[in-house]
Amino acid sequence: MYINGVIELRYVKLPKENTYEFLERLKEWGVLYAPVKISEKFYDFREIDDVRKIEFKYNRTIMPPKKFFFLPKEKIFEFSISKAEYNEAIENVEPFIVFGVHACDIFGLKIMDTIYLDELPDKYYKVRREKGIIIGISCVPDEHCFCNLRETDFADNGFDLFLHELPDGWLVRVGTPTGHRIVDKNIKLFEEVTTQDVCEFREFENKKNQMFKYHEDWGNLRYLLEMEMEHPMWDEQSELCLACGNCNLTCPTCRCYEVQDIPNLDGDTGARIRRWDSCQLRSHGLVAGNHNFRPTKKSRFMNRYLCKNSYNEKLGISYCVGCGRCTYFCPAEISFVENLRTILGLKDDSCPPEVAEEMPKRGFAYSSSMGGEE
Amino acid sequence: MSEKVRVGFYALTSCYGCQLQMAMMDEILHLLDKAEIECWFMVERNSDEDREVDIAFIEGSVSTQEEIELVKKIREKARIVIAVGSCAVHGGVQSWDKDKEFNELWKTVYGDAHVKFEPKMAEPVEKYIKVDYKLYGCPPEKKDFLYALGTLLIGSWPEDIDYPVCVECRLRGNPCILIEKGEPCLGPITTAGCDARCPSYGIACIGCRGAVRDVAWFDSLALEFKKKGLTKEEILERMKIFNAYNPKLEEMVSKIFEEGE
Repeated sequence: MYINGVIELRYVKLPKENTYEFLERLKEWGVLYAPVKISEKFYDFREIDDVRKIEFKYNRTIMPPKKFFFLPKEKIFEFSISKAEYNEAIENVEPFIVFGVHACDIFGLKIMDTIYLDELPDKYYKVRREKGIIIGISCVPDEHCFCNLRETDFADNGFDLFLHELPDGWLVRVGTPTGHRIVDKNIKLFEEVTTQDVCEFREFENKKNQMFKYHEDWGNLRYLLEMEMEHPMWDEQSELCLACGNCNLTCPTCRCYEVQDIPNLDGDTGARIRRWDSCQLRSHGLVAGNHNFRPTKKSRFMNRYLCKNSYNEKLGISYCVGCGRCTYFCPAEISFVENLRTILGLKDDSCPPEVAEEMPKRGFAYSSSMGGEE
Repeated sequence: MSEKVRVGFYALTSCYGCQLQMAMMDEILHLLDKAEIECWFMVERNSDEDREVDIAFIEGSVSTQEEIELVKKIREKARIVIAVGSCAVHGGVQSWDKDKEFNELWKTVYGDAHVKFEPKMAEPVEKYIKVDYKLYGCPPEKKDFLYALGTLLIGSWPEDIDYPVCVECRLRGNPCILIEKGEPCLGPITTAGCDARCPSYGIACIGCRGAVRDVAWFDSLALEFKKKGLTKEEILERMKIFNAYNPKLEEMVSKIFEEGE
């Protein structure tokens, strides 16, 4: 229903006992991907054969869902030197469903969209984004989650359906025409949302909010990062860094890629390949003439913090969604959150606890020559 | 390119696995239109080490006096020298214990056996001659050969690999052995290109492709291993398997054990 040009969401309930039947029927819409356990502790989105293997309560996947749209490695075109031509290698993408996406990761995709659909349109990304159906799922935070501080803990859009856990099923928000069609086609599996369900939904959200480790204001983060470039934290923490790239490669919004031309042995033809890059790697800042504009491990370490929090002038949003992957999957146990909190002054007092009374009045704005007309 | 590219493949002390890897590639047949094999005893009966070549592939470590002369001769006769595999590039696993007395090592392996050559401690090819490009690995992957050859054949220059195994491990979607099992995986300091072959089977990387250029952070990884309970000796032994000649390794690991003790 459209009200003032805005799509009003539709709410339905999927009873618990219909969950697996619903998931099975999702396969009619394309290949189904969902989170599964891939090792003792880790999860990842994988193609689903047996829907009973799907994990509804997972903390985070090692690979972010961007992997379905911006492939970790792909051929972008084939070339011939003698013919001086190239042919783009965009494959025919079949529809697919990514089930079980957390709110933070939906925001991650929305950030990817601002780059690869809007700012620097990328046809390889676009063709997959058009074919992908996104089904979100509610979650509760673990110690590494800080999506509340990034305001990405609840997705308003960016999904076709979003499932909120209830004691006896799921409250489903329908977000797109495709979402409507999925519900309509399986309407017998759904029920109407009751007042009790709404109470349960509210209860869940309230509890979730209380579970976050930190409740604090990060509003000034960008400016403090820019002003604290000399802070000792940078030396101490970058010293620990392995520069392995895990933080970038598991990040739902890192979007740098590296390209390489792979010629065939005929001395004429070949293909251009791209793969996810990491700003922690030496070659990320390497340019012609063997110059490197980020020549040290420390400068590369700092770049990620600034890119996520500060290099966002055009969009005005943080490129970090608070998923906690860069900390959880860091083999050197470096905590992104704690380092940011150091910069924010939330860990120890680098400044006097209270600003002295007379201080503001000494400022430029208080000089006698300043001020507008009375 | 009208003239054929002259190629040579020379073996020093090694298992011959690198040249076998290259000889077994189906794609090598495509090369025959473009290249003349001047010297490659494994595949070409009419081979001669004294001929001039455009591209010389050298596998194996320099482990005898005769091999020192051979690599110098190859350098003089070749336009481009490519060191192939861990032995040629880093001295190989046979230099793992290079800091021990050579005679002691020799006796442990060969006893009192007599040989016709004059043996010495295994060393990387670069100790004696300028190397223009390196193919890492034990053995290098087929795609390493294809990429280097293909790039040279179009008149360009192949890129060095300057990032660690972790990158490819993540791109493959593997779980991280180092984090999850606490095993001493050398992925973070090891040159990529193998598509994380061992970690993909749940086996911690032993670093066969060698430390990644000047961006192998032995110290940071040693600190992590130390936290997991490894001693300095255990860490050094593991990191040295394929990196015994790395000039920074020992110092960087030692630094971790000096601090806070």
